[in-house]
Amino acid sequence: MSRTLLLATLLATAAFAGSAAAAGNAEAGRTKVYTCGGCHGVTGYKNAYPNYHVPRIAGQNADYLIAALKAYKTGDREHPTMRAQGESLSEQDIQDIAAYLSSLAQ
Amino acid sequence: MQTMRPIRTLQILGLIAALACSAAAAASGNLEAGKQKSTPCQACHGADGNATDPQYPRLAGQYRDYLEQALKEYKSGKRKNAIMAGFAGSLSDQDVLDVAAYFSSLPSKLGDLHGHLQGQ
Repeated sequence: MSRTLLLATLLATAAFAGSAAAAGNAEAGRTKVYTCGGCHGVTGYKNAYPNYHVPRIAGQNADYLIAALKAYKTGDREHPTMRAQGESLSEQDIQDIAAYLSSLAQ
Repeated sequence: MQTMRPIRTLQILGLIAALACSAAAAASGNLEAGKQKSTPCQACHGADGNATDPQYPRLAGQYRDYLEQALKEYKSGKRKNAIMAGFAGSLSDQDVLDVAAYFSSLPSKLGDLHGHLQGQ
């Protein structure tokens, strides 16, 4: 009985730790988006060749942002600047940034 | 040297003006046409362009030229997404302009990062 309880506790703890690592921390994300502001924080800032506005990312949906950053990181989504940014981010960084940006929905 | 007759000059000017006008119409999107064409998009991106399922991006109020670029890249295959490849592939260049114009015109929850950075 005691053995079963121990095992259950262990499993619950493992599951909790797993979900904690997977979930983003918006407060941590706030400090991690500093670099993003160089382009995404300048109203009207444009990408060059081809010429178009860099997207508005504050308030964007979290899972989409996670998928986008991962695709930049692996090179599946091609963009030289964003590839470099994506490569510098850990899995946890991506989760945190997505949590913070999505929390800014107006 | 023969002087150009006024009537002929006027005709040529009229033609140039008409061409310039139609070129301008083709280069920018039409909101009303975009609204009609956006029906398939709404299933994932929301009727108001603010997707509630977090896996899909909010399009309402996004920059028009960014939306055009995204659709062009899905269409060409540069940006890879199985669902979007199907939809974007069926759009003409004018459809892309119209749909982008429509979503960018909708009330937005999006913004840039100005004022949201540490120390601001």
